[in-house]
Amino acid sequence: MKKKNVGAVLAIAVILVYLLLPLAVSIIYSLFSNWTQVIPRGFTVENYVELFTNPDFLASLGRTLVLCIFPIICTIVIVLLALFVTTIFFPKLEKYVQVICMIPYTIQGVILSVSILSVYINNPTFLSERLVMLFGAYCVIILPYIYQGIRNGMRAVNMPMLLEAAEMLGASRLYAFFRVIVPNILSAIIVSSLLAVGIIFGDYVLVRNLAGSSFPNVQIFLYQTMKSDSMKASAVFVVIMAMTFLIAAIVLFLKSRDGHERSKRKVKE
Amino acid sequence: MSYIRFENIVKNFGKNEVLKNINLEIEKGQLVTLLGPSGCGKSTLLRCLAGLENVTSGRVYLDGRDITDVNPRDRDIGMVFQQYSLFPNMTVEQNVAFGLKMKKTDKAVIKKRVADILDVVGLSDKIKHYPSQLSGGQQQRAALARAIITQPKVLLLDEPLSAIDALLRHSLQIEIRRIQKEMDITAIFVTHDQDEAMVMSDVIHLMHDGIIEQSDSPTMMYTQPSTKFAATFIGHYNILSAADFKKATDVSLDCDDVAFRPELVMIRDKPFEEEGYDMYFTGEIEVRLPHGNILRYAIDCNGVQIDVDVLFKKARLFPDGAKVYLAMKKADCIEL
Amino acid sequence: MKRRKFLYLFALIPFLLVAFLYELIPLSMVVVNSFRPDEGVGFTLENYETVFAKLLYQKAIINSIKISLISSCIGIVIAFIGARAAHQTHGKLNSIFMTILNMVSNFAGIPLAFAFMILLGNAGIVVQIGRALGIDAIANYNLYTSNGISMIYVYFQVPLSTLLLIPAFDGVRKEWQEASTLLGAGKSTFWRKIGVPVLMPSIMGTFSVLFANALAAYATVYAIMMNNISLLPVQIAGCFVGDVKIRQGLGGALSVTMMLIMIIMIGLTNLVSKQFQKGGAKA
Repeated sequence: MKKKNVGAVLAIAVILVYLLLPLAVSIIYSLFSNWTQVIPRGFTVENYVELFTNPDFLASLGRTLVLCIFPIICTIVIVLLALFVTTIFFPKLEKYVQVICMIPYTIQGVILSVSILSVYINNPTFLSERLVMLFGAYCVIILPYIYQGIRNGMRAVNMPMLLEAAEMLGASRLYAFFRVIVPNILSAIIVSSLLAVGIIFGDYVLVRNLAGSSFPNVQIFLYQTMKSDSMKASAVFVVIMAMTFLIAAIVLFLKSRDGHERSKRKVKE
Repeated sequence: MSYIRFENIVKNFGKNEVLKNINLEIEKGQLVTLLGPSGCGKSTLLRCLAGLENVTSGRVYLDGRDITDVNPRDRDIGMVFQQYSLFPNMTVEQNVAFGLKMKKTDKAVIKKRVADILDVVGLSDKIKHYPSQLSGGQQQRAALARAIITQPKVLLLDEPLSAIDALLRHSLQIEIRRIQKEMDITAIFVTHDQDEAMVMSDVIHLMHDGIIEQSDSPTMMYTQPSTKFAATFIGHYNILSAADFKKATDVSLDCDDVAFRPELVMIRDKPFEEEGYDMYFTGEIEVRLPHGNILRYAIDCNGVQIDVDVLFKKARLFPDGAKVYLAMKKADCIEL
Repeated sequence: MKRRKFLYLFALIPFLLVAFLYELIPLSMVVVNSFRPDEGVGFTLENYETVFAKLLYQKAIINSIKISLISSCIGIVIAFIGARAAHQTHGKLNSIFMTILNMVSNFAGIPLAFAFMILLGNAGIVVQIGRALGIDAIANYNLYTSNGISMIYVYFQVPLSTLLLIPAFDGVRKEWQEASTLLGAGKSTFWRKIGVPVLMPSIMGTFSVLFANALAAYATVYAIMMNNISLLPVQIAGCFVGDVKIRQGLGGALSVTMMLIMIIMIGLTNLVSKQFQKGGAKA
């Protein structure tokens, strides 16, 4: 029995080392000015100081933030509305909504971006605006995550019964949905939006193909920096990864808290 | 004219006919139970009254008004569901106040009435609690308060106690009955538990397979089941075909089936000497099963099995295989 | 009441608008364009002829399939070991493992490419250390090959596939292992005869996700190789973005080819897992 556990611990340890090695190396690399021998030399935080005083970097962060906020809010609203209508009034339409929401999961960035580009690039209206195309593409690429998050949240609360209860108390269905159901699936919405933030934050393909160089986000900034100066790029890398991990950690925390509450409720039964 | 009236209600789910031409009248101020096994249509009937289901055909009247096509929220009906219908993101206070808020009642009035109603259901100390912090019983008290605070014309209870454990369920049954009488509420209670129906109701409507089998007071329902199904579902009747009944007791009755309660059969280890019974027969103990305060004997009477109940205290224990003498009155036999 | 119900359909409009404008129309246009010549109008198979006749695109297809297959296979083996280990451990180590897997699963694209260049690139740390220590095998490691790319892909496949496989291991009952031990089977026999077959549907499902993921990956490989490797996503992007004239037809045909490869892989993995499910149901 004990022997088996040693094997498992060893396997986990090896995988952890494998996964963490590139990260650790890059972090160390960013903190030393000279690493051509086995031991790195010349500890410095200059890369970071420079980075955070670089207006281009700060601007790219700001752009990334804008790219996160609008598409995510937009997608949450349209998915909520669509699910409101389909789950309550037209359950038969729900599977079509689901299919539409899951397609981007298999298509992924490259095909989606070039197909949007080819349709709208020569459009005479505002649709050919690169930012508009980019927003649209982001809305679509995060659809699967937002949809699943909200759908799972709805399953976790007993939605039909809560809606009926609210209706018997004199609430309209619209009011009941947005004032009773939505607050109860808020944490599911937050988790899925954070997942979406992670995706948009890590996106290079869509922004490069659709916006070109006109709207560089942090990923483009990293790419350009690493072509010119890998020391500086390593600091960008560390900042990006720190933010990515922070988002992932919050998601994990929220999820485990939710799971905890649910199991607590179960125990009470 | 009656307070609530169902008129020729038919409800189909696809090809499945769940309610088959139901006609039912309910008096004001009564607590009426829809009793029946799962799938008998009792919840569907309740939901048709609430407006949560549309009827396929027929009319529903409440307080002299045809409400068949009225939106649920405009029907002035309160409803308590099975567990977990409280809004989990709101406190007890917010849950209970919800209906009044929808009616745009004045804030101060809401506060007062919430406090009053929580006092009635005994939850005054839980006013700021969230549903997840309440026990199942407390949740249902809160749900009851939420349903009756708007003083609806009728209160519907859809198996509200089915998820609550036996001991607590009993005290909640009495509590709901007390509140219903105190506040003079007309209530319809749906349950599959015949004991619950007995304890709570003024009138029981026994449903089976989309029709109403029998409507009676609990006492009548218990002592005078009018159909074979009623006899099976209520209590533990012995139900024998007329042929089997003849075989066991040597008495011929002109009917299809005969039902009689197991506690109305007398049992002795020697022949009866006193008068007062008009049927005497014998049997052999097959097995005895203790059921709480009664002891139930399964007895083989000439190849037909009859159950006989005696109070545990009085019981002289007959061993398995013992020959026993039995007696009963013809008047206690219900011909179906 | 009925009419009011249909009024609610208006709430579907924003969703449908976004879906049609940025998903359904563009994707169907890609398919339509793939059958249209870049100049003029009409129906043509020219684009597909180019895709399957030109060496460059043949290579792109073969390279893409090869790299995706290799990285998915290696990834799933590591993930199997990792998920089994996670299943067998509890407490702190387990939760650390889960946390890191979750975090690292977001580690992809440009940052991943950068980290590997720092580590294994021409002037990377490992290569430098190899030179300093005089170990030629390390000093001459070349990241900029299709094998090098496969290795990077393996890296992002591992956390994703481990996370996908861990829940499946909960389906392998402890009782089965105990029963098989009592019947005299060793650990490896148990996994070969019972564990893996039971897990096969999950393994196949995960495999198809990995394959699709690797097939569509673009940022990582672009950051390392620029356009100096022939892979489907690189060629597709090349048809639309860059200095050359936009070649919608060819790009469309390449996109359709890539989607077809994905669909075929999903179909194949479904077929395999059905095979195992059938056997499982019988047993």
